[in-house]
Amino acid sequence: MSSYNAVKIMVDVQNLNVAFGNKKIIHDVSFSVKKGEIIGMFGISGAGKTTIIRVLTCQIEKKNWTGNVKVSDLTPAKKKNHSKILANIGYVPQLETLNLYFDFKPMVNVDVFASNYGMNKKEAKEIARSLFTILDIPEDTWDKSLKKMSGGEKKRVSMALGLIHRPEILFLDEPTTGVDASKRYDILSYLKKLNRQLNTTMFIITHDLEAALICDKVAILREGKLLEFEVPQKLILSLPSEGLVVRFIIEGLNNDKINIIKKFVSVQKIIRVGNEMLEVLMNNFEESLPKLIQYMMEKGIKINSMSRDVATFRRYFQLRIQEEEEKEKILM
Amino acid sequence: MNITGLIRKEFGRIKSDKRTLILLFFIPFILILIFGLTTGGGPTAFFNAAIISRDEISCKGDFSSDSDEYDQIFISIVENNCSAFGLYKSFNSTNELEYNYSIEACKELLKNELIDVFIVLPANFSESVKNEVDPVLIYYVDGSDLNAVNSIEVAIQEPIALFRIETDLLTNFTTMAPYMEFDVPFWESQILNYAIPILLSMIIIGTTMNLTSLSIVAEGPLPRMLLTPAAKNEVIASKLIAYSVIMVLQSTEIFVMTAFFGLYCLGSLFDFYLSLIVIGFCGISMGLFISAISTTEQAANQLYIMMFIIITLFSGQFISLAPEIRPIIYFLPLSHATPLITEITLKGFSINLKYVLSLGLISLIFISLAYIAYRFKKVEV
Ligand SMILES: Nc1ncnc2c1ncn2[C@@H]1O[C@H](COP(=O)(O)OP(=O)(O)O)[C@@H](O)[C@H]1O
Ligand SMILES: [Mg+2]
Repeated sequence: MSSYNAVKIMVDVQNLNVAFGNKKIIHDVSFSVKKGEIIGMFGISGAGKTTIIRVLTCQIEKKNWTGNVKVSDLTPAKKKNHSKILANIGYVPQLETLNLYFDFKPMVNVDVFASNYGMNKKEAKEIARSLFTILDIPEDTWDKSLKKMSGGEKKRVSMALGLIHRPEILFLDEPTTGVDASKRYDILSYLKKLNRQLNTTMFIITHDLEAALICDKVAILREGKLLEFEVPQKLILSLPSEGLVVRFIIEGLNNDKINIIKKFVSVQKIIRVGNEMLEVLMNNFEESLPKLIQYMMEKGIKINSMSRDVATFRRYFQLRIQEEEEKEKILM
Repeated sequence: MNITGLIRKEFGRIKSDKRTLILLFFIPFILILIFGLTTGGGPTAFFNAAIISRDEISCKGDFSSDSDEYDQIFISIVENNCSAFGLYKSFNSTNELEYNYSIEACKELLKNELIDVFIVLPANFSESVKNEVDPVLIYYVDGSDLNAVNSIEVAIQEPIALFRIETDLLTNFTTMAPYMEFDVPFWESQILNYAIPILLSMIIIGTTMNLTSLSIVAEGPLPRMLLTPAAKNEVIASKLIAYSVIMVLQSTEIFVMTAFFGLYCLGSLFDFYLSLIVIGFCGISMGLFISAISTTEQAANQLYIMMFIIITLFSGQFISLAPEIRPIIYFLPLSHATPLITEITLKGFSINLKYVLSLGLISLIFISLAYIAYRFKKVEV
């Protein structure tokens, strides 16, 4: 990877606003993405993830959005740029039925899509071979019916098709949704592998918070606003005591008990993570922890077990959304 | 970006939709097979005829075509211009006595199989032609030969057509075949031949519409296609081209089969073939339109059935419409398709540009509507 490539801005979004009629969907979103980065777009359903990606992929008419947007140095605001932008990006939809012709063999699918980019058959076949190999799609299935492939294999063929024209940017919509729990990590590691080998910039729309594991940066969206755009590790470190948490299992846990713990002076955040399980974040973690335990015992809260850990991105996300909801409540 | 990849894709998709393909090629096959077998030899047969003219304008002995003696023109056509008929003998019988004698003579000829048919031109024949009232033509055949009865019924249209062209006659003939005491009702083969143009049109439009009616709505990856440099007009164009090729194959099948079975066609077979293509294209355009405006496959199927029923029922062929809504006939393809074929096969006219243009216009309207609908269709991946 040359140092030039490392800093090249692939996607630049400044003050993006999207509205459909009177309905404002995206509020003043800004971020920029460098070549080779994997960006995770997180947010609950309806947060606006797809809408942002649809602006970047020339799917939303200019009359519906404002702001400065550049995708590989071209703005989707101009219609004449669309085919150039589309030639340089790949897209992997959530459902394979939206991406693959099930009646065609994988190699025929390759041919269909590659021809749209003006590639010749031989060139496309070669690229497909290398992609299929990276993705461990068994060679004897390349020219067999797609219908006979497993779900995971179809997903991987779909990913290969998104990359068939060697795009610089690949967009993936919910790549792990609907995939077996055991295969989710496979998909993620394949994406990382592709990213490393091809240096492709990737946007992953997902509400699978585990996907943050492979992301260089995460975007957290809520109700059309970009709350964070940062390296996930940095976000976790920004938590009180750099994300150290103590996990309690408390007998007869209820809201009263939680409120009592909340009153302890160093306690910053509390997340209930199970019926009897709590996670607590504090300032001055090491010093405060013994004091907190003593406080709880004094208040008659019975701790069944206790462990310490570092917050995951999942926790960070929950806390960040929770924080936002609380802010809103105060405003109301 | 070039469109050939998209077209190849369409062929691949058509190929994998076996059921539609079977409908497209099998239905016309069966139809023509049945009709081909029932109508028999068609124009390949040859009949000897005698003609009795009772036309009252007296004979001057010359057969020039600008004379008023239309009976002589008719006789001359049967004698010299027909491929299906030859003239054995003609009689001039302006009074009852002569007529009775001629009839007896002809019956004798028929019995001895010296002729297959004798035709009677009535007393007002030339007068009706001149005044453009349907001239009547009466013919007698040997009822024992069922095949001949059917074939002559069809073949008799040849001299009539030639006569109409020769004399620029706009009105049609009324043919009568008295003494039809045979097993086959006299109107049956008539129905067969009059049914072919409308049945063919219906089947072509129905099957080609069926072929394309799911082409957009049932193609899952199509929205994703638009995230490649492929444009919407290229998508529509590729479909139109691929489906047209398949449609031309169907027309060719019909054309070859009708030629093979000698289905009765007075006009040029090439004109007939062109008509089939024009009609098929109209069906494709309508199917494309259905596919473009439908949001689900189910909706497309329902719309297809609805459209098919409407164009058949209101084409003016089955029920006569109230005058207020009669103009809708002009917007329905069957109203132009059926006479287009009829004029070529049964009347021997050449391809009628009026109908071709009407069908072309209908196609154009549907393609434009399909394109507009597709442009504004929300396509999301
Ligand atoms: N074309 C549209 N017209 C009106 N509202 C829309 C349109 N597209 C999306 N929305 C709305 O925008 C919001 C964000 O949608 P989306 O970007 O799909 O969210 P996400 O992908 O995060 O689930 C939703 O409330 C959705 O209803
Ligand atoms: Mg979404």
